Amino acid sequence: MVFLRSEDHLARWLDENGWEPGASMTATTLSELARRWWWTRLEPDWQPRPPAESQAILDELGLTGPFWQLG
Amino acid sequence: MDELDLSIRTYLYASFVETGRSSTPPETAGVLELPESTVSSAYRRLHDAHALVLQPGTTEIRMLNPFSAVETAHRVEAGGRSWYANCAWDALGIPSALHTDGRIASSCPDCGESLELEVVGGELLRGRELLVHFVVPARRWWEDIGFT
Repeated sequence: MVFLRSEDHLARWLDENGWEPGASMTATTLSELARRWWWTRLEPDWQPRPPAESQAILDELGLTGPFWQLG
Repeated sequence: MDELDLSIRTYLYASFVETGRSSTPPETAGVLELPESTVSSAYRRLHDAHALVLQPGTTEIRMLNPFSAVETAHRVEAGGRSWYANCAWDALGIPSALHTDGRIASSCPDCGESLELEVVGGELLRGRELLVHFVVPARRWWEDIGFT
């Protein structure tokens, strides 16, 4: 996924590539998602995160519905 | 994921953060004093477990998410060092993983204009108005993680 300047830039980018719209969020929301998602990645006792915990992170940020279902 | 695979993964991440480049199986085998074939097999298992991403058909590391082992449009500076990230999400993930502030240099794929973001104290202070778009739904992220 990429950063875009505005809705107009997003619409042109999707149109030029022939892609159907997926899901958008502000960089502010993505920053909070990234903070929670990657926080433990370099910890020495890291273990794979159970899918339910990953889904919970999405849910907590209001990223719900079919598009955000991991499995 | 067994202890061997976890220890190799831990080494790969630590080495990448330190050097900015990914360790090859012969290099990792030398450092960890393991047979190269054992290390190569571990790389493949870690790839299959989505703990890292290899270039197709090789043991060459492409991604140690959120870090990218290849040049991308997303450059992240943190703690006096810099790395490439795989995508917008990963770019914001590098300061998180490092538990530090960070600056991101990226560009809008529509107009090509440079974009700058800055994370301070865990909060996005610059670039808050930018948009992010997910083309691929979550259940399909790993079908083609490079595209995702």
